[in-house]
Amino acid sequence: MTLLLDKPATQTSKLLPALFDHIDEERRLTVFHVGPALSDTVDFFANYRCRLHFIDLFSELPIVATEDTPTLHHQFEELLSIPAGTEFDICLFWDLFNFLDRKTTEAFLSVLRPHLTPDSLAHAFSVHNTSSPQCNHLYGISQLDTIRLGKRATAVPGYAPQNQSQLQETLDCFRFERSVLLPDSRLELLMQARL
Amino acid sequence: MIGPSISIKGEVSGDEDLHIRGKVEGTINLNGNQVSVGDSGKVHADIRAKEVRIDGEVTGDISANELVVISKSGNVRGNIVAPRVTLEDGANFKGSIDMDPSAAATGAAPLSARQPANSPAADLKKPALDLKSG
Repeated sequence: MTLLLDKPATQTSKLLPALFDHIDEERRLTVFHVGPALSDTVDFFANYRCRLHFIDLFSELPIVATEDTPTLHHQFEELLSIPAGTEFDICLFWDLFNFLDRKTTEAFLSVLRPHLTPDSLAHAFSVHNTSSPQCNHLYGISQLDTIRLGKRATAVPGYAPQNQSQLQETLDCFRFERSVLLPDSRLELLMQARL
Repeated sequence: MIGPSISIKGEVSGDEDLHIRGKVEGTINLNGNQVSVGDSGKVHADIRAKEVRIDGEVTGDISANELVVISKSGNVRGNIVAPRVTLEDGANFKGSIDMDPSAAATGAAPLSARQPANSPAADLKKPALDLKSG
């Protein structure tokens, strides 16, 4: 997928800082980023002793299971390729669940769940209601409270967002801690693992 | 330099900087030196060096004692371990990045001091959380 980053913009985040409220600088931070790796994000985390796992699932969409393909679970196992024993402190799910239906989301979570702990936190962008228009942003962290927005050159296929209550039901291994309503009925979410 | 028409299979080791414009398959071990993969370079190997710069394609794990740079034309699939990693916008990267700024400050080699890639973090101190709904 071609990325277009000519005109980056920024967006202040009220919830992002909470991910780092209780970081112990003596320990390694393990981050799961579902999306393309952007320079800002790598630069930001360069201040931490950390391991960043970048999986650009957007370039693999749509993910479907047919009679001729492996199950969704097996496809995610292969796509995510999370090393055994990995436990994520922070998960970044920016727009991901706008492109996965309920069944696909459940398969994704079934692969992710063993790599969560009760202290795992997640930050996501989603929608408040399904009439929210598709946005084709690329996201990076430029500062503790600032998200950098880039623009994708091509739209991601398969936009089928779940509204907030549907998503909350689907993401059964996360508890929604805080949410902020953004323009265009978009949502910023802060979640904690519920195992 | 490994020129654009050169293809090497096996282990590359030595005590000088290396610029790769051709193909290398195997392992590259230049611990105290710089390895750069040019635009036309295609490397299917694990790379171990002091500094690594990628302008071409690399499939394999990269470990550097000081710095890894993936330029905007770079395409890397593999895991990176280095005190500092720089990714330019437009770079294509899939894998994990293991960084340690304290190792960068001391110039310490990261590999021996770090926990293995698959080591569980369960014994590490966990942060508390006190979040409000809203």
